[in-house]
Amino acid sequence: MGEANMSKTSLTRRTVLSGAAAMGLSTMARAQQPAEVKVGLIVPLSGIYTRPGQVMRMGAEMGIEHINAQGGIKSLGGAKLKLIVIDCGDTTEKAKNAAQRMVAQEPDLVAATGSYLSSFTLAVTEVTERAELPMLTLSYSDLLTERGFKFIFQTAAPASRQSELGLPELMKLAEAASGKRPKTVAMLMDNTATSVATAKALKEKIFAQEGLRLVVEEVWTPLLSDATPLIQKVRSARPDLLLFMPNAISDAKLGLEKINEFGLGQGKIPTVSFSITIAEPDMLQSVSTEAVQGIMTVVANWGSKGHEALIAELKAKYKEPWMTQNVISTYGDMWLMKAALEQAGKADRLAVAQAFRTMDGGPSKHYPGGQLKFDEKGRRVGAGVVIAQWQSGVPVTVYPSDLALAAPFWPKKS
Amino acid sequence: MRGWRSLLPIIVFTALYAAVSLSVTNSYYQLVMTLVPVWAIFGLSWNLLSGYTGLISFGHAAFFGLGAYAVVLGQIHFDLSPWIMIPIAAILGGIAGLLIGFPTFRLQGHYFALAMLAYPLAILYVFEWLGLQEVTLPIKRDNPIAYMQFADHRLYTLLALAMMLATILLTRAIERSRFGMALLAIKQNEAAAEGAGINTLAWKLRAVTLSGAIAGAVGGFYAVVLLVVTPQSVFGMLVSAQALTVAMFGGVGTVWGPVIGSVILIPLAETLNAEAGSRFPGIQGVIYGLAIICVILLAPEGLFWKVRDFLRKRSASPAAKTSSGPDIPAAAVPSAPAPSRSERFPGTGDVVLEVRNLSRSFGGLKAVQDVSFKLRRNEILGIIGPNGAGKTTLFNLLNGFLRPGTGEILLDGREMSGRKPHELCEAGIGRTFQIMRPFLRMSISDNVVVGAYVRAKTDAEARRLATEAIARVGLSEIADRIAGELTTKELRLMELARALAGQPRILLLDETLAGLGHDEANEVVAVIQRLARDGMTIAIIEHTMQAMVRLVDSFLVLDHGAVIVEGEPEAVTRDSRVIEAYLGKKWMAHAPH
Repeated sequence: MGEANMSKTSLTRRTVLSGAAAMGLSTMARAQQPAEVKVGLIVPLSGIYTRPGQVMRMGAEMGIEHINAQGGIKSLGGAKLKLIVIDCGDTTEKAKNAAQRMVAQEPDLVAATGSYLSSFTLAVTEVTERAELPMLTLSYSDLLTERGFKFIFQTAAPASRQSELGLPELMKLAEAASGKRPKTVAMLMDNTATSVATAKALKEKIFAQEGLRLVVEEVWTPLLSDATPLIQKVRSARPDLLLFMPNAISDAKLGLEKINEFGLGQGKIPTVSFSITIAEPDMLQSVSTEAVQGIMTVVANWGSKGHEALIAELKAKYKEPWMTQNVISTYGDMWLMKAALEQAGKADRLAVAQAFRTMDGGPSKHYPGGQLKFDEKGRRVGAGVVIAQWQSGVPVTVYPSDLALAAPFWPKKS
Repeated sequence: MRGWRSLLPIIVFTALYAAVSLSVTNSYYQLVMTLVPVWAIFGLSWNLLSGYTGLISFGHAAFFGLGAYAVVLGQIHFDLSPWIMIPIAAILGGIAGLLIGFPTFRLQGHYFALAMLAYPLAILYVFEWLGLQEVTLPIKRDNPIAYMQFADHRLYTLLALAMMLATILLTRAIERSRFGMALLAIKQNEAAAEGAGINTLAWKLRAVTLSGAIAGAVGGFYAVVLLVVTPQSVFGMLVSAQALTVAMFGGVGTVWGPVIGSVILIPLAETLNAEAGSRFPGIQGVIYGLAIICVILLAPEGLFWKVRDFLRKRSASPAAKTSSGPDIPAAAVPSAPAPSRSERFPGTGDVVLEVRNLSRSFGGLKAVQDVSFKLRRNEILGIIGPNGAGKTTLFNLLNGFLRPGTGEILLDGREMSGRKPHELCEAGIGRTFQIMRPFLRMSISDNVVVGAYVRAKTDAEARRLATEAIARVGLSEIADRIAGELTTKELRLMELARALAGQPRILLLDETLAGLGHDEANEVVAVIQRLARDGMTIAIIEHTMQAMVRLVDSFLVLDHGAVIVEGEPEAVTRDSRVIEAYLGKKWMAHAPH
């Protein structure tokens, strides 16, 4: 017995020691390279959220390319930015582990951005906050900037704010186009942090404020296996407005397919979403152009007026048909990091974080509304929303008018 | 002394692990170093229930997750530090274990495993429904240490190691005590364990409570390390599977198993995630799965046992040449011809067991009908009859496995029918089984000591009773051999010793001579005769007529559940009804006259 134990111990001891040796090497190999400044992109590149992650990567790469082509970080002697991409997987646990890996393996990162889904960003920032790494995010959840964190900077309007800004605009639009205000609303949502935050604001405040009565409310955990029961409830309730809030592309497709199958599409029940998922290019792979025609979504950012050159470049380089929030916000994040680095004057994460906090960069070019300035919670001051609408197979910005690429229309019941 | 010496590897391992972890500065590798003991503890918790009792639990995530959520919610809502909440998580885990165990232990085998699977999955949806999809431990900037928030991640590893050491010591203490013996007995044969006087439900409940408590505590600690708790990450299928994986990979039913499994698998999985996962997403699962499949195929009981068997074989083979092997015990037992029964004075004593009008039916089948007989002190009663005559059913009624339909069982004049097996065992009825279920990994002494706990108050007393019982069957010289190496005859004698260790007054022997050759049977018969001579009262079921005729004082012949003849062997073997029902006409020609 004793002998067996001893030999087992020495085996594990060896394993552990060799592991330790590897760890020592890996930390030594990372020497400072002053000519490069590393910034991180931690997004899903595997699993069901791969697609948005890839698109964010396109935005980041374009941003880095443009910044470096225009002379890099001037206050650091023209240092080039280097993008470190980390896959955060498709679950909260994986995202949190990836963040842990990121802060451990890349000790000279000065800032990072990510992580698409609010749930992932919540987990990732638990780690980056402790590692004092400034983290930009396009995620929506209010919770992200309600934890008293000092190293998170939310460029998008938080979910509650988005519904506050977006729903009244939709109501106005409906009234102007159809002559009457919607009275009843159905809400179908997944249970990710973004949807939960949006729904909370809608139910607690905005529905009452806009005189809307909630007649159907259904929640699911991604991924949906069948949308029939959800849409059936909508059909029998016949609301004036349907809020459909998926965050996984397959859920969005499944829902829209069912909506059309039940004959509720194409404006019979005007459908509005609160995320970019429903306006992703992937949607057209299984849903027809007619099926999505007129569907609107309230989002934190979209390719708008003033981004035409960028949209053209995206089309040419990556064959992307249009520019979603994921591209433009992540592109903007790179410029925001550059601005902070210029202000900080050194490639140091604490200095960069301080620069984000004190920055006053004037009107924002890559995010709708407001300024390049963060309040004490880390929320961008004056962050607005964009309404995009599917028109002839392309979701185009229709609100606000100064950013709009087309005029909105309200789907009419035929 | 032996205990301390065997603790040495554990202490050396823990010290080395601590030393290595102190030298790791990379926070990600430090996290992996923390997770190794965490999953090892979870594996040990699983092992405590499933490894020792053999009742496979697919649902340990239930306890783990409750612990994790308790710690997080305790801090969010009541501002209670994990230092306080982890012990509370342990209590909650223990209570959950008891609540889950009580109804679920009615099930056995696969049914138990499947029922256990349901608990964490059900709880998972409850937590999602409660809106706890994602909860995080709030950062405490003012007094981090008081909330178990260390800037130096090495402290987490040390804390996890301390918990692991405590769990290992606890498990070992259990392993060597009456508790561990009871669990092992349940694993081998729950019915036999009951028969050996073990209150199996009580011990199983103790095991699941303790196991749940450990899982709850380590789940709570995991939440502190993980920062973010989601239902999937603590109640998910993969969490329960993790406990099984580390324990089965390393070795089931030993403290080393989960530790070995965890030390190898956790760093492997994390490295694959980090290195291969970013290049080929998903490949980590494939490699990890293949590694586990290979080990399970090559070492089905886990690495620990494989290595131990290998080393034992290597050290045993030269030793085997010097000893003369399994013949030794035979020499210790007087061999055939067996002494005749006239050497003692049977059947004249008081009635110790009286059975009156005992019946039991299964549906329309009357397995035992209206059986009555008396067993006197120091008597050997042979129960014979063709297959399906109801012999084993009768034994099952006598030792409490089955409740009688009607009738009475009087032990020293006290009505005992319908009592539980362990109660009847305490009252002095011991039995052996037709199908042997030895504890193959354990030595003869350890096998036998299981049977002694019904009488013994202390572990030392149990050891003494076991030693005596082994001596009575003549196995003393090979008492340290493991059961897996024994011959059928030695196993039969060992089973007999296990029944004897409980110091029964009545022994029920179910086909003790089955599967033995002529000479071997004679040796066992000699042992039984000596027991009778020393005052034991014995009822024996047997097919081997030759040996039985010389052994027993009287026969009870059953057919179709009913007694057809009762009496002296000579008279019974000549009875035409017996010949017709059981022996066949040929017996007449060959019967000894």
